[in-house]
Amino acid sequence: MYYLGIDIGSVSTDFVVLNKDLEVEDHLYLNTQGLPMKAVQEGLKLLKDKYLNEAINAVGTTGSGRKIIATVVGADSVKNEITAHAVAALHINPSVKTILEIGGQDSKIIILKDGIVTDFAMNTVCAAGTGSFLDRQAQRLGIPINQLGDYALKANNVVRIAGRCAVFAESDMIHKQQMGYDTPSIVKGLCDALVRNYLSNIAKGKDISAPIFFQGGVAANKGIKNAFEEALHTQVLVPEHYNVMGAIGAAILAKEALERSGGTTKFKGFDLEAAHLSTRGFECSDCSNQCEVIVIEENGVIIGYYGDRCGKWLHSVKMPS
Amino acid sequence: MTVTVPHYGNSFIGLKVLFDALGINYVIPPRSNQTALDLGVLHSPEEICNPFKLMLGNYIQSIERGADTIIIIATNGPCRFGEYASLQQRLLKKAGYSAQFIILNTQSGKKALFEGIKKIGSHSSCSTFQKMKALLLAITAISLMDRIEIKLRYCSGYEKNKGECKRLLQSCYEAVVQTNSAKDAVKILKSFKHSIKSLPLDYNKKPLKIAIIGEIYTISDPFSSNHIEDQLMDIGISTTRSLTPTWWLKDSVLKPFKLNSLSMHRAAKEYIYTCAGGYTRETVGKALLAFKKGYDGAIQVFPVGCTPEVIAKPILEKISSDKSFPILTLIVDEMTGEEGFITRVEAFTDMLERRREKCII
Repeated sequence: MYYLGIDIGSVSTDFVVLNKDLEVEDHLYLNTQGLPMKAVQEGLKLLKDKYLNEAINAVGTTGSGRKIIATVVGADSVKNEITAHAVAALHINPSVKTILEIGGQDSKIIILKDGIVTDFAMNTVCAAGTGSFLDRQAQRLGIPINQLGDYALKANNVVRIAGRCAVFAESDMIHKQQMGYDTPSIVKGLCDALVRNYLSNIAKGKDISAPIFFQGGVAANKGIKNAFEEALHTQVLVPEHYNVMGAIGAAILAKEALERSGGTTKFKGFDLEAAHLSTRGFECSDCSNQCEVIVIEENGVIIGYYGDRCGKWLHSVKMPS
Repeated sequence: MTVTVPHYGNSFIGLKVLFDALGINYVIPPRSNQTALDLGVLHSPEEICNPFKLMLGNYIQSIERGADTIIIIATNGPCRFGEYASLQQRLLKKAGYSAQFIILNTQSGKKALFEGIKKIGSHSSCSTFQKMKALLLAITAISLMDRIEIKLRYCSGYEKNKGECKRLLQSCYEAVVQTNSAKDAVKILKSFKHSIKSLPLDYNKKPLKIAIIGEIYTISDPFSSNHIEDQLMDIGISTTRSLTPTWWLKDSVLKPFKLNSLSMHRAAKEYIYTCAGGYTRETVGKALLAFKKGYDGAIQVFPVGCTPEVIAKPILEKISSDKSFPILTLIVDEMTGEEGFITRVEAFTDMLERRREKCII
């Protein structure tokens, strides 16, 4: 008896298999590389040998690709990242009050009270404080991304980097390099700038109180964790499965959804890896809305539509039972 | 003369009825869409409000379909809307479109306003009595359409057959624009209003209820608000919207007597007691009314740079923390990504649902 959660993000596609006690049995962290379908097929292929189709009791998706992938895999629940992250964190620690989440291209803060999400914010116009930016800077400095945090901890100087905009931050870093600062100090300055930007932008006016969870791919970076602790003067906890929390939440939500409806899973099985999946888009011109409709095909057969506001295309597909 | 008007919510239905009854040639532009916005953005200053750009796009699409006279209202004072007409007139000329403007200026005295109305009327061969009747029909149509929309959007939370309210609303819009007879249009609307009564509803359901507040044009126009009301309808949430064309008409008529939107102003008094431009007070008032009526939350939508709503935003934040009443603010413009918008609305409704479920247990 297992629950499968899939988080299709901009940078990574994560898979989590939970057992009946909702403990993490298996987890995968794959690069999306702009091809979510391929990443999902890859993940299912890796899990295929370990689990039987019948052993999967519920499937949930989350992340920016949640809707398209839900059609492809036959998901029982399709939920946004905020809800998924909150559910996962609450599962680990029911008393959690703040969740700081920094992913590939978005960052969010979730405020909880008595185990309920009471407030949240998500970056809107700028991605300066997210994982993609760190990725790029690590590359530029010639440091593997997973060692970036360790570099920051070795810093002995305080370097202030302009963190408002990713492009200007980069210019500022180059300037500091030219001035002769050592790489660890610059990396630390970068971490501080990212945290400063996060706290003054997304977390502005939010009541941040302990226990604080820090999750998402960027939580692997000890430099950022430290910078958060210094800025907030309190301990920041990084949960064990920090990088797949969204997928854990999706799996729990799928279990809840099926328990509530009393139905059985719509999961199409692990054999999907052999199928030929493709998506294409077209602009519907039947009314002035001009929706961009996405067509999802499996082996040349249309299995779903997505993006039409009136639901005309969506309802034209009969789901095979 | 072929007249046209910019879109503003359901107003086009009333105006279509009016022109049909008066026997004036007219073009109703396609409902605001990406093409209209792209056209508007191309010819507008970058930092102007989104409604301005959409209206300009509407004009151009109408001119392409044969319109030569644009009718627009100018209400000086509350916000930049008062300046729209004169600026748009210049921009159209600059872009190489020739069209005459009839500006109904409500603030420079009754005389100017009546002159504009007379100008429109002079193109109709109807008698004064018939003209009055046409106006009455138009007002009836507009208020019927608004009432149908409000009722269906509220009922969607209680419907027994999923999607029925949305389908009925869609077919109402489709049916009413088919006819070119003013009387038939009103008849069609009346029959749709009647058919709401026979919708199978389940009052034992306890749907989430959300008030849609914010800038008047943006929340009334589905394209501007990223179809937020339709999205909420799809997931079975009842919504109410504070400002509609009917409300605007009533508000404008009653304003000289200071009898306009009394309930919203009274409700808003706790936080704001004077007009701060635009409909700041109405936004705040409606949020407080929704809270008192037991709504689960409110969503404020406004275009980038809308000063009256920017003023309302921190007040709403205060209300939200004072009364523990969740309010989500969404700011839209031509750069808004739809997916991000939908995610935020979805996360908000999830939050409301989980808050409430916990309360029951």
